[in-house]
Amino acid sequence: MSTKTAAGTEWSVEDLHAKLTGAKDFFVFDVRAEDEFEAWKIEGKKVLPTVNVPYYEMLEFDEFDDVADSFKAFLEAGTAHKLPRDVPILAVCAKGDTSEFVAEALRRLDFDAFNLTGGTAAWGDFYDVKSVDVAESTICQISRPARGCLSYVVVSEGKAVVIDALRHVEQYVSLAKDKGFEIELVLDTHGHADHISGGPELAARLGVPYHLHPYDGIHPIDVLPATIGYSYLRDGQAFTVGGKTLETLHIPGHTLGNAAFLWDGKVLFTGDSIFIESIARPDLGGHGETWAPLHYASLRRLLELPAATMVLPAHFSGLGEAGNGGLFVATLGELTRDNEGLRMAQKSEEEFVAYILASLPKFPDEYVEIKRVNAGLLEVGESKASELELGKNICALAQAYEDEAGS
Amino acid sequence: MSETPFDKVLDASGLNCPMPVVKARREVRSLEPGQVLKVISTDRGSVKDFQGWAKVDKKVDLVGQESEPPEDPVTYIHYVQLAK
Repeated sequence: MSTKTAAGTEWSVEDLHAKLTGAKDFFVFDVRAEDEFEAWKIEGKKVLPTVNVPYYEMLEFDEFDDVADSFKAFLEAGTAHKLPRDVPILAVCAKGDTSEFVAEALRRLDFDAFNLTGGTAAWGDFYDVKSVDVAESTICQISRPARGCLSYVVVSEGKAVVIDALRHVEQYVSLAKDKGFEIELVLDTHGHADHISGGPELAARLGVPYHLHPYDGIHPIDVLPATIGYSYLRDGQAFTVGGKTLETLHIPGHTLGNAAFLWDGKVLFTGDSIFIESIARPDLGGHGETWAPLHYASLRRLLELPAATMVLPAHFSGLGEAGNGGLFVATLGELTRDNEGLRMAQKSEEEFVAYILASLPKFPDEYVEIKRVNAGLLEVGESKASELELGKNICALAQAYEDEAGS
Repeated sequence: MSETPFDKVLDASGLNCPMPVVKARREVRSLEPGQVLKVISTDRGSVKDFQGWAKVDKKVDLVGQESEPPEDPVTYIHYVQLAK
């Protein structure tokens, strides 16, 4: 999603993404409420120096017509001494209005300060596209960097399949238009808990089939059937897209209907099973203990694929996981060696289950609701959808988030 | 639908953050101790911000909050009392 960039004093979310993945340091001054900050903050490849001072605490010396002068008076009374003068400071709030005054106050104190246009809301909705040519086809990895969500458009001979479409479906429609290919199939690897799927809406808009495994057509906690329109996905099902074949592997564990897709026998879209630095958690359906052994069997099945298989997951937990060209990708051989969860999957079922059940991060309340939305059991407007999706996904095991927790 | 008594109204409809809190902070200080200011806002973020502000500002207490309509709110009302 593009946003306006005012010259000089503003950073757009595109600017922010470039800086987060670039080499130069900067400092974040976040003025949102404390619990909003604790729930979710801007993160980079490495730990990003950040301070949180809720803006309403900065009104202590409010006696000026211009709010920026009130903020300036507060900063002068103490906080300014703790802020760096050798790197740029990015002022951040929820929508980018208050932080504009804060950035102005910092500039009046001679800091090199900028405002994040649109705030954390715009950052959460920012999409990035990276492409790679492989197996005589083009694979576009479409991500929401702030949320750690990845989706894919796979193109062969001008025809394309979309896997795990994220909520803002115009991203896929405009990409197809710009690059001149035709989307003829939409698939979800599973019923998502952390974000609202764009799959049903994208398929309906384009008039193409949308497939989901029927086990994920039942809300696991409500035990109610989905009301969305979808075609059944089954193990072994093969789709022809352009000159290539996409094969379905039913790999229950993260969900009962969890699937992976193998493109041309070479590229594996693992959805929520194998990530780059971790593996998926089995408890978001409320049945971690009974689903963990299924997860084990499914991971063992994926490990039988050739070591050269290229793995493209549906999530990452930190921008540092990206490799050359900014793509989140690894070979199955590399992951078999380096990914702790996959190393555990090579041990006994008992050891794996004990490991995974001891590694579960918190279960966000809103994940039950998001699954309802994805099943069509609950309708939400834009602002509620945006609120449900706030923050970074927590679909992997706890170890994936440890760096941030310690910072 | 309001059951919280109030002494003065501040209509901050259409104002973006930080103005609802800034104006409410100034206005409530013009009241007598114990009096309540009713603040009307259309900014969804104001709900948490008023809670946070009331926690750090010793001179004010947040004595009530409402959203209208409850299912899909467009208006957020805050009742702010000047400490006695």
